[in-house]
Amino acid sequence: MRIPILRLERTLLVSIQVDLTDNDAMQFQSDLVERVAEIEALGVAIDITALDVVDSYMARVINDTASMVRLLGAEVVICGVQPFVALTLIEMGRDLMGADCAFNLGQGLEILNTRIATRGDTRFNEDEDA
Amino acid sequence: MTTLLQQLLREHRAELLADWLKSLHAPWEHPTPQDGTHHEPNQRLHALFEDILTALERPPSDRFELDALDPLAKHLRQLVADQARRGAGSSETIGLMLSLKRLISKRLIEQSPSDSSGDLLWLEQVFEQLTLLAFAAFLDIREHLITQQSLSLLELSTPVLRLWHRILLLPLVGVIDTGRARQITESLLEAIARHEARVTILDLTGVPVLDTSVAQHLMKTIDAARLLGTRVVMTGISPEGAQTLTKLGIRFADVISRATLRAGIAEALLMVGQRITSIEDGRP
Repeated sequence: MRIPILRLERTLLVSIQVDLTDNDAMQFQSDLVERVAEIEALGVAIDITALDVVDSYMARVINDTASMVRLLGAEVVICGVQPFVALTLIEMGRDLMGADCAFNLGQGLEILNTRIATRGDTRFNEDEDA
Repeated sequence: MTTLLQQLLREHRAELLADWLKSLHAPWEHPTPQDGTHHEPNQRLHALFEDILTALERPPSDRFELDALDPLAKHLRQLVADQARRGAGSSETIGLMLSLKRLISKRLIEQSPSDSSGDLLWLEQVFEQLTLLAFAAFLDIREHLITQQSLSLLELSTPVLRLWHRILLLPLVGVIDTGRARQITESLLEAIARHEARVTILDLTGVPVLDTSVAQHLMKTIDAARLLGTRVVMTGISPEGAQTLTKLGIRFADVISRATLRAGIAEALLMVGQRITSIEDGRP
């Protein structure tokens, strides 16, 4: 099953709503990375509100994806980490989720927009070829 | 007593030479007009031919030894060097030897199929040595060329550009190994100190492979640059590169990274408080 990647201007939006198999997780990761490079995205919001359980593998996939996206020059926010998920993640190790987190999608996008606004390349939006 | 071979060589010298030259490839016969030295290769071939025949006319023995200072060895080496520089393949160079051997042995067998075995053996031995020598010379010269090229590549490919006041740009092209990494780091640090750069852009668009060792070299370069007080922006990492780096467990945690050099330049300019804008209307 493929996770749809939505585009809002130059921000990408993904919402993971079911538990992913290992293969699906890898597919999601490479899909997202390719897409970020393709449109030169400025921000990516990963929403995991619907996930009640996150195992260490999934946590690592999300975390890896976040740092890949950052290497490609986009800001990342992870939205909607559930309290129980947060607890298990902390139990398993602090560094499992290194990216920035937000309560919900709305707040996540807000954080992204503030960050993007302070970047040097934001003005390319109005340019000829963005 | 003269052997069959010695006799043959004396009688058919001119024909052999003509046949040999005819059997060689086009470049020797149709030299490029712009270089005025187009008689030289043929002269070299003549000299080599004479040398080889002289060697063959020695009384046959069990072993044929070729002294490195022998004129034959010297001529052969020169010829091979010329060919290698011209970009000829090894088969062409070795073919030079083998075609002469084929011509002589063919004539030998034609003359006397029964008595030629001793001469053939001798012929075989001489050409074996010559071929070995030619091949070694060919390899030597190629090796030399490769070393030279990689040295010049090393010098060419690591320029540190001053992009703007207090902004440096380091475009990396090609494979980064330990030697190059050190040279890059040195010239970069030197330039940062000289220009007191506030921002340094590291463009990786031209780096084909990003692996652990490359990443480690980059990390060291970045850390050293930071110690001098400059900020580092990385640009041009490909999606594959980003995936490899992350899967290898390498985190460029607090390095700013941008998709393209363009975005990186915008970021760097912002850090020094500048911006590129369009020219206002009404100005020329």
